[in-house]
Amino acid sequence: MTALLTITRMTARQVLGLRRFIGLGLLAIAPAGIFFLSSSRSTTTSATEVLAGITVGTFTNLVVPVITLIMASSVLGAERRDQTLSFLVLRPISRYSIATAKLAAAFVTAFTLTGLGALALGIMAMIRIDDAGYIVPLLAGTAIATLAYASLFMPLGYFTDRATLIGLAYVFVWENGIAGALKGLAGLSPWRLGFAALVALAPSDFEFAIAEMRGFALGSLQPGAGGSIVKVLVLSGISIAVTGWILRRRDLA
Amino acid sequence: MTDAPLSDSPALVADPTVEATKVSKWFGPKVAVSDVTCSFGPGLTGLLGPNGAGKTTLLRMLCGLMLPSEGTLTIEGRRPRQSVEVYGHLGFVPEEDAVYGALSGRGFVEYAAKLTGLADPATAAERAIAIVELEDSADRAIGGYSKGMRQRAKVAAALVHEPRILILDEPLNGTDPIQRAHLIALFRRLGNAGHTVIVSSHVLQEVERMTDRVIAMVDGKLAAAGDIGAIRRAMSDIPYRVLIETDDSRRLGAALVGSDAVFGVTVDGAALRVETTDLATLGRLISTLARDLDLRLTRFRPEDESLESVFRYLVRRR
Repeated sequence: MTALLTITRMTARQVLGLRRFIGLGLLAIAPAGIFFLSSSRSTTTSATEVLAGITVGTFTNLVVPVITLIMASSVLGAERRDQTLSFLVLRPISRYSIATAKLAAAFVTAFTLTGLGALALGIMAMIRIDDAGYIVPLLAGTAIATLAYASLFMPLGYFTDRATLIGLAYVFVWENGIAGALKGLAGLSPWRLGFAALVALAPSDFEFAIAEMRGFALGSLQPGAGGSIVKVLVLSGISIAVTGWILRRRDLA
Repeated sequence: MTDAPLSDSPALVADPTVEATKVSKWFGPKVAVSDVTCSFGPGLTGLLGPNGAGKTTLLRMLCGLMLPSEGTLTIEGRRPRQSVEVYGHLGFVPEEDAVYGALSGRGFVEYAAKLTGLADPATAAERAIAIVELEDSADRAIGGYSKGMRQRAKVAAALVHEPRILILDEPLNGTDPIQRAHLIALFRRLGNAGHTVIVSSHVLQEVERMTDRVIAMVDGKLAAAGDIGAIRRAMSDIPYRVLIETDDSRRLGAALVGSDAVFGVTVDGAALRVETTDLATLGRLISTLARDLDLRLTRFRPEDESLESVFRYLVRRR
C-alpha cells in the first residue's frame, strides 16, 4: 500500500507541474467564466438553460475529456518516453499494482483540474440561479466522467506517442460525432455517463433545461448515478487489468 | 564452447544465481541474441563485447524487462516476470539515463528505497549516496547533473536495498577517470563480498581492471567465456593485417616473403599490406629490414584491430 501511494504521489508530481496547473486550470474554469458573463442579464429559468448549454456544449464534452486526456496519457507515457519505466517495474511490486497506482494518479491529477472547473461552475450557478444544489451534482458527474476518461487514456498513453492526437480524434469524431448521432451508443461515451449522473442529482429544473438537447446529451441513457458509477468502475477494472497484463507481457524497452 | 558438455563450459559457473539457457531474442528479422547459454554466480563477471553485440538485450532479458523469443532465464531459480519478489534482491543500472530529472539525487534514491519497501528509506538513501560519493550534490536536481553524476545516482538507487545481485549496463560510460576508478573499486568490493555482480562494457581494458571472469559476445552470440587470460591467449592467434608505407614498398615486400612471421603480402602502389599473427615480431623485422635496405618508413599501422573484429574472429573460429 505504501509503494502504491508512493507511485501515485510521485506520478502526480511528475505530470502536474505549476505551469501545467495554471494553463489547464484556466481552461477548466473558462466555462464558469463564460456562464457568468453570458447569464448576467438572464432570468433564473434562462440562466438554468445557459448553464445546461455550457455544461453539455463546453464543459463535459470538451474541457473534461481534453484535460483528462493530457493528464492520463502522461502518467505512463512520460515514464516510457523518459525511459524510467525500467526503474519502476524492477521493484518488488506487481505490475497490476503499478497500473492501479498510475490510474489513481491519472484520476487525482485530472480531477484536481476538472473538479476545480466543476466547482467554479457550481459556484457561478449558485450566484446566478440562486441554487447551491448544482455544486455536488457537477462535482459527481465530473468525477465519473474523469475516471472513465482516465481509464481509457492511461493505457493509450503507454501504447503510443500519439495519444493526444488519437484521444482528440476519439472525443471529436467518436463521442461528439458518431455517438452523438446514434443514440444507442451513448452508453459508450464517458462524458455522457457523467452527465447522466449530473442530471439525476441536479435540481429538477436542470432536466427541463436540457430538453432540447437531450437526444445529443443522453442518447438512450436515462438519468441516474448508480448505473454510471457501476459502468465506470467496471471500465476502471478493465483498464487496470489490460495495463497490468501488458506490463507483464510486453518488452519494456 | 558449444561442443563441450554444459558442465565443462567456461560460460557456466558451479553455483549460479543468474542463468540463461539457450536464450534467443529477435526483433522482426533482426536477431539480437542467438542461442546463448551462460550463468553468473557470486563474484564479478564482465560482459564484454562491441556496441550492438547483444549485451544490453541479454541484460534486459535477465532482469525481466524483455521476454526471450526462445529459452529461459532465471534469477535465483525464479523467472523474474512471474515472481516480482526477485526484485527485492536485484539491483539494475540501465545504460540509458533512466532518472527523474526534476528529483534531487537524494529524492531519486529515496524513491527507489520506498518502492522496495524499506523501513527507513531516508537512512538507506543516505548510505547509498555516501557509497557512490555523491553527498555534495545529493540535494541538487538530477536534471542538472553531469553524465558521470547521473551514473553514480543510478548506481546508488540500484544499491539502496543492498541487493544480492547487481546488473550494470555500461555503468562507466561518461564517468571521469577518478569516478571510474572509484566505481571499479566499488564493484570489485561487492563481488569480493559475495554479491553477484554483472558489468557490461565494450572496453576490454575497463573489464580487465575489474575482473578475471569474462563472457564475451559479438553479433548476439557468445564469442568467448572464462578467464580473461585465456581469451587474451586466444586473441594472440588472430591474423592481423598491417598497412606499411615506405619509399619502396615493392622491395620491402619481396624481403618479407618467406619470413615465419608473415603469411601474406600484397603490394598496392606505395602501400604494402602484410598479414601476420605476431605483430611484435613483424614490427622488429620491419625495423631491421628498413635499416638494412635503407628505406624510409612512413607508416606502420595495424588495420582491423578493433575489439569487434577480434571477437568476430573468435566467433568464426568456434
